[in-house]
Amino acid sequence: MTDIFLRNLGWITAVLVLTTVGLLLLARIPLRYNIRNLRVRWIPTTLTALAFTAVIALLTVMLAFVSGMVRLTQMTGHPGNVLIIDESSNDEAFSNIAASDVGDLVNLPGLVREGGRSWVSMETYLVVNQLLPHARAGRPNRRFLQIRGVDDVRMTALVHELGLQPGGDWFSSAGVREIVGPNGQTITAIEAVLGEGIAREMARDRSPEELAQAKSPETLLPGDIFFLGDRTWYVCGLLQSAGTTFDSEVWVKRSLAASIFGKNTYTTVVARTPDAKTAKQLCDYINTQYKKAAVRALLEKEYFTSLQETNQQLLVAISFVAVILAVGGVFGVMNTMFAAVSQRTADIGVLRLLGFSRWQILGSFLLESLLIALVGGVLGCALGSLSHGWTANSIVSSGQGGGKFVVLRLVVDAGTLAAGMTLALAMGAVGGLAPAWRATRLRPLEALT
Amino acid sequence: MTIANDFCVQLRGIHKYFFRGSERLDILNGLNLEAPEGEFLALMGPSGSGKTTLLNLIAGLDKPSEGEVWVRDQCISAMSESQLARWRTRNIGFVFQFYHLLPVLTAYENVELPLLLLPLSAAQRRQQVETALELVGLQDRMDHRPGQLSGGQQQRVGIARALVTDPALILADEPTGDLDARSAEEILDLMAELQRSLQKTIILVTHDPRAAARADRILHLDKGRLVDSLPVEPTPVRRSPRGSTRE
Amino acid sequence: MKLFLLVLKNIRRNLLRSVLTGLGTMVLVVVVIMVWSILWFLDEQTKEKTSNIKAIVTERWQMPSRMPLSYAPELRAGAARKPEHVRPLDSMTWQFYVGSTEPNRFGRETALFIVGTQPEKVLTMFDDLDTLPPDSPDRQRLEKAIQAMKTNRQALLIGRERMEAINKRVGERLKVYGMSLRGVDLEFEIVGVFPEGRWNNLAVMDWEYYNAAIDAYKRRPGVRPHPMTERSLSIVWLKTPDTRSFTAVASQIAASPSFTNPQVKTETLASGTAAFLEAFRDLIWGMRYFLMPAAVVTLCLVIANAISLSVRERRKEFAVLKVLGFRPAHILGLVLGEAILLGVVSGLLSAAGVFVLINVVFGGLKFPIGFFGTFYIPVRAIWWGLGVGAATALIGSLAPAWIACRVRVAEIFARVG
Repeated sequence: MTDIFLRNLGWITAVLVLTTVGLLLLARIPLRYNIRNLRVRWIPTTLTALAFTAVIALLTVMLAFVSGMVRLTQMTGHPGNVLIIDESSNDEAFSNIAASDVGDLVNLPGLVREGGRSWVSMETYLVVNQLLPHARAGRPNRRFLQIRGVDDVRMTALVHELGLQPGGDWFSSAGVREIVGPNGQTITAIEAVLGEGIAREMARDRSPEELAQAKSPETLLPGDIFFLGDRTWYVCGLLQSAGTTFDSEVWVKRSLAASIFGKNTYTTVVARTPDAKTAKQLCDYINTQYKKAAVRALLEKEYFTSLQETNQQLLVAISFVAVILAVGGVFGVMNTMFAAVSQRTADIGVLRLLGFSRWQILGSFLLESLLIALVGGVLGCALGSLSHGWTANSIVSSGQGGGKFVVLRLVVDAGTLAAGMTLALAMGAVGGLAPAWRATRLRPLEALT
Repeated sequence: MTIANDFCVQLRGIHKYFFRGSERLDILNGLNLEAPEGEFLALMGPSGSGKTTLLNLIAGLDKPSEGEVWVRDQCISAMSESQLARWRTRNIGFVFQFYHLLPVLTAYENVELPLLLLPLSAAQRRQQVETALELVGLQDRMDHRPGQLSGGQQQRVGIARALVTDPALILADEPTGDLDARSAEEILDLMAELQRSLQKTIILVTHDPRAAARADRILHLDKGRLVDSLPVEPTPVRRSPRGSTRE
Repeated sequence: MKLFLLVLKNIRRNLLRSVLTGLGTMVLVVVVIMVWSILWFLDEQTKEKTSNIKAIVTERWQMPSRMPLSYAPELRAGAARKPEHVRPLDSMTWQFYVGSTEPNRFGRETALFIVGTQPEKVLTMFDDLDTLPPDSPDRQRLEKAIQAMKTNRQALLIGRERMEAINKRVGERLKVYGMSLRGVDLEFEIVGVFPEGRWNNLAVMDWEYYNAAIDAYKRRPGVRPHPMTERSLSIVWLKTPDTRSFTAVASQIAASPSFTNPQVKTETLASGTAAFLEAFRDLIWGMRYFLMPAAVVTLCLVIANAISLSVRERRKEFAVLKVLGFRPAHILGLVLGEAILLGVVSGLLSAAGVFVLINVVFGGLKFPIGFFGTFYIPVRAIWWGLGVGAATALIGSLAPAWIACRVRVAEIFARVG
């Protein structure tokens, strides 16, 4: 049902807007009659419109969350990229490709080559526990951190088309650097490049002393350190990763990650071809003819699209809640409009005697209900729009295990607002119909006595 | 079928009855009535005599159980409801005891209401509304809401609204019933004046012999029949059962 | 009492409005109760207990956790090596196996998520199953199934929903093709179904059967070591009587020299769950501080609207009551009473309705949040319904009731006259 609603959102909006415009054009009873009555009865008008505002604001925020997730999964991935994981996995989180198997993958046909090198990124994706000794009260004392160990960070950045923020640098070929510890001793710290989102997230769980020395209270910056897996880590750069799933990742030299976290296999190989067509051919080749390693290939774009399963589940839940709330709002507007009709029976009688038809009476009351809905809906959308740009943590997943922890930005776009206004007008129309119908059933003379 | 005649209103063999269970309640019993063009006719009768039912039949708000209602050359008792709605706009003007103005609209807007159903330009409407308000002497109260007008003034707006579409027939149901003696007198003067100058047919339903006395002809209704002459006895003016302002 | 009768009469007078308001209250209370049920359940899961603590041992750094099976005996003993060491009350191991009933398809109608463990531990360690009354039919059915698992190595205990999804019945045999570990295919006979509830989508097999299958797979020629064969143990669950013994066991495990590659960590089930739910932090925050308030505010507005409409229509009547000697407090009580009665009745009906509808008719509320897929409405939700109905009615009707009791008699009658 939800699906049907979403797929036909355009149609439903069109029907509702056309109905409203049609009523406005065909109505012979002047609109100011409705507006003045709404003003005279400002208490129920306001209360009803506010109920609409609450429902629509909530819907807008919830949809903005989903839009944020959709945008995230849509923006990540390059059409020419092919994601290679082991054949028994459906997500890189569970993948294991032996070190001896990845070497041959650079010789795959159709890859982009430059200076004699194939554009292939060799990666080990890990989810690890980061202990948070300084976690604020009431918060868990560890977090799951996504680590991407990479063999050649410049190549990986090239394949994923990610750059560094000014002031940072990629990690060195050794992947470690000597830094001076708090007591003047020398520490070998692991160099890491952080996604913007996770850099902000990690900045929240620092001790007061760390915070006092921090370059920024908001985010970790190049030169800052953090602790993970019994080691000290040195932030050498931040990725320009906003809006992608890489925003929540920590990149590090793969051989170091392997030894610290005990994972010696690769999980993911990402190969760049010139275009989507070649990428598709490469996928087919790997999945049907390539026998040198037990791997399977996916188009990177399709992989990230598959992570939208979470969105679908959320959308279903949101629509369910929105519909229930909307029904509550409908009962509210019905009360208001029934009261309006019974209070204006004399008006209705006169209008009928003057020659206004039942349909014109119906239209007038329906329009009045839609006016309340319009005001409430616009307010709700406006209020909900304040959430635009908020960041939120979530998980995107294909629904079969795995998935990614992400930091997303809520997006209030035209579609979200259209959905909000559509629901508001639909509530107004449904709630206004029965009272308007009752108004047409009044016999003019009985209405006047 | 068209019957050429000089009557504005013609009722032929009208019966109106309801059934309560198996019992038949006769409201109107084989009633005939003819009102020539331009006549000011008063209908009198005690409560329950069928006055209002008769008025409803003439206005096309109700249909007779038997018989035909003709207004000018149209048999309105044979028309459908939507035809009647359109017909009423052009041919009938109503004046009510309790004025029944829409409280949120100004005097001007109230008078304009029936014109909105006709294919007129805004300028044409404005001209007609202003003329009508001028006729009832309220051109300086156009932008007042009913709540800001006295009872007599409200009834003048009601009359202007009845006139504005230039209908052949004006039906008035106790138009002075809710007014004090002086205002009532003024309203009756106005109606008589309009009838003379504009040559409108007016059917006035009333309890009040003083009001009826202004008419060209008085008919008495009793137990569903027209009685030629009934002794005129003074009846108290009906009091308003409700306030003129909205709660 | 007299006042109460008057309240009842007023509710009946504009029945349409009372019904609409009641229905509005009911649907909005449904939202509140559903969201509240989810939040309450999650809170319960992450609340630290002080007795009968479940501890969960997993790989220290990586997720998903993968430990060698050789860790199992020592971990199950709580790494107790000396006589003075604390031993857990109970323990079980978890080995995950993901498979499909069709070799090359993996979807909702074919997927199986099977846990290899010690069958009898289902009765003592699984949440909700460990508290089944010994003489309940659920418990007796479950015991019978566990008994069958002890004699039949290929026995499979499965959740009802999953069984229906793959279109099988108790007593049927099935072959499952390995997805988490290609080449390890297993054959089962379904011997029982979990009691209705949170295990509706899980399946349990005998760990010995699974480990034998892995051994056989490893002995095949040309098979290379694979993390899923070398490190097939995901979780060890321990039960300790109190916080002190939990801390002792945790430090015994941390001190043990056996667990170095990979290292392991011990935490309470509640804190493990909390860490897991951290990923959904903002979603849960949104439910708690956005969804719930929006539903409650909407409800207050709907009630305030209805009550203010009826107060407005009855101003004259309140004036008459005042003339008859009613004090403002009486009128206040009359209006508040009407609203609260309506709120309480609708709230109760709604809560009872949603309880039956979700738990019995729909078999739980599907809302996938981490490893919790289905939520149930707790019995206490009935009281929440009552409370939310009464509270929102009170808030919503305060202003209209105040207006009603401040009605000025003279003014009202002046308008009539």
